[in-house]
Amino acid sequence: MAVSSFVLAQRQLVAETEDLATAQMFTNAANLNRALDVVGSDIPALLEGLRRPNNAKVLLLLGDGEPRSLSGLVIEDIPDDLRVLVRSGNAASKRFRTNEGAQFVTGVRIERTGAEYYEILPLTETEGTLATLRRILIGASATATILGAGLGYYFARRILQPVASAAQAAEAIAGGDFDTRLDDQSDPDLSKLTRSFNDMVEALRLRIERDARFASDVSHELRSPLMTLAASVDVLEHRREEMPESARRATDLLSKDLMRFQRLVEDLLEISRLDAGAVRLDYDTFGVIEFLERVVAQSRTPGVPVESDEAGALILEADKRRLHQVILNLLDNARKYAGGATLISVTKRGDSVRICVIDNGPGVAPADRLRIFDRFSRAGSDAGRRDVATGVGLGLSLVAEHIRLHDGKIWVDGVTPTGTGARFVIELPGLEVDVTGELEELAL
Amino acid sequence: MGTHILTVEDDERIRQAVKLALEEEGWTVTEAGTGESAMDSYTSNPPDVVLIDINLPGMDGFEVCRQLRRESDVPIIMVTARADTHDVVAGLEAGADDYMTKPFAPKELSARIRAMLRRSRNAEQGNMQRVKVGELEISPEEGVVMQGDTEVHLTKTEFKLLCELASQPGKVFSREVLLERVWGYDYFGDGRLVDVHIRRLRTKVEPDPASPRYVVTARGLGYKLQP
Repeated sequence: MAVSSFVLAQRQLVAETEDLATAQMFTNAANLNRALDVVGSDIPALLEGLRRPNNAKVLLLLGDGEPRSLSGLVIEDIPDDLRVLVRSGNAASKRFRTNEGAQFVTGVRIERTGAEYYEILPLTETEGTLATLRRILIGASATATILGAGLGYYFARRILQPVASAAQAAEAIAGGDFDTRLDDQSDPDLSKLTRSFNDMVEALRLRIERDARFASDVSHELRSPLMTLAASVDVLEHRREEMPESARRATDLLSKDLMRFQRLVEDLLEISRLDAGAVRLDYDTFGVIEFLERVVAQSRTPGVPVESDEAGALILEADKRRLHQVILNLLDNARKYAGGATLISVTKRGDSVRICVIDNGPGVAPADRLRIFDRFSRAGSDAGRRDVATGVGLGLSLVAEHIRLHDGKIWVDGVTPTGTGARFVIELPGLEVDVTGELEELAL
Repeated sequence: MGTHILTVEDDERIRQAVKLALEEEGWTVTEAGTGESAMDSYTSNPPDVVLIDINLPGMDGFEVCRQLRRESDVPIIMVTARADTHDVVAGLEAGADDYMTKPFAPKELSARIRAMLRRSRNAEQGNMQRVKVGELEISPEEGVVMQGDTEVHLTKTEFKLLCELASQPGKVFSREVLLERVWGYDYFGDGRLVDVHIRRLRTKVEPDPASPRYVVTARGLGYKLQP
């Protein structure tokens, strides 16, 4: 706005000055025209007698080519293009710039004598006025801008502050801090929002607590009968040889399904603990290769080779007990659906370790590769690629949850281009390579 | 007389089933349904191993454990509901030697009990030389640890742990190795067993347990006896 004001004022002022100068020039030229008729008139006196507002300089170029001027104006001061115009009989004007500042020149040819008449008006005064105006405008608009920005910022903050703290609170709550509440607001609209936000958080907290308590109650309630069952079945197994054939078979069935039931209960409880955010990882530092070899040795497919190209010892910081479950689950999965894993390969990727459990089975169809980590999903049960009769689809979802807790990644892809063979890939952060041989200090 | 086990558990059916399973191993089992009756039973008929459920009405399992520890170093196995709670650490700090989570396989319990019995029978390490580090003197043969002129009283498990570390002073023992040698666990035993026992050991043998002089931690690797 300041800019357009300035431009308008500038145009107006310059145009007025120029109009005035042009009018004066025409008047002067007409007067000269009359005076030049009188032979022997005193030209310098004539020029002196002209009205020259604002110290305009004048130059009269008579038909004989002799220049007469006041204030030391010479013909070279007149811009050439203007002279051409004037000589051809036109009245002309032009704004131009010398080292003395902006100038306005007007010129006209006095038809009868062939004389040329020029006036040059310095625009310094106008420019001075404009400069002052510009300074005022710039100052005013700068002040207005700063003041406006300051006020705008202040009010925006005042208005947005509650929104910002709500966002902060929501973030804290998402992070598990359910004691977070918003401060009371004086604004009635905001205070309504604050109240319902706080009510919502409280409801959420109660619900999560109830869920967690439920999980732990169920856990306790289920554990007790399972304990009695486990101990009783153990006694039956001890006495297995003394039983008649049918009782023996019944005992075996009981024992096997009790194990399955126990696994399922454990998995379900672990999942509900995970859902309640009640699982804390117990970090331990250990060598990856040795760890994997031990897991494999304990699994039901103890012959699976563990391979790595790394020279130094790969030391990982992770929850050993849970990672043990993860690897056992993957080995178990390979055993059930692919006749057992064929290889576990370990590679280092920056400060992460990548553990691949590879099998030779029918593979996982691309469409199932995400779904397979869902709870109770059995990939491709329609296509019959995986045996429906075995396992309950919790293992892989637990695996995925545990890896997620470790800030790691898990996915499955195919081994061959045609998609047969499955490769379950786990990527876990927290890897260090020990090349110093510090481990050799260990008593073995 | 055979091995005598005291099981403290408030759920009667569990108590009966566990008793039956342990009796299959040829052991004598005494039952107690509350902490108070467990203490009475302990005094009148001292067992070789005590199995305590943490969730007891009235006097809880931790308290039973603490009271037992005040008068005896009988091997104690805690039974907790879950492995990943503070209960495990609290139970070990109360003086338990080992723990099991419900529902456990009775075979696993029997294996743990056998490991404990072995530990208490050869707590005296017959073939080990006397070790002296600073003011601390360990005599494996007599099963005695002296701190200057005073005898330090250790439980069988603490003593066995210290003897393992003292067998190669200056060498770092990983948790896995200690779990295997002291508790008879495989590689996947719970490292917290070692950590809490080391802590307990330090309160007994270290002049300043907060900045240990003898039983030192090798960060990320394990523990060693500083020569």
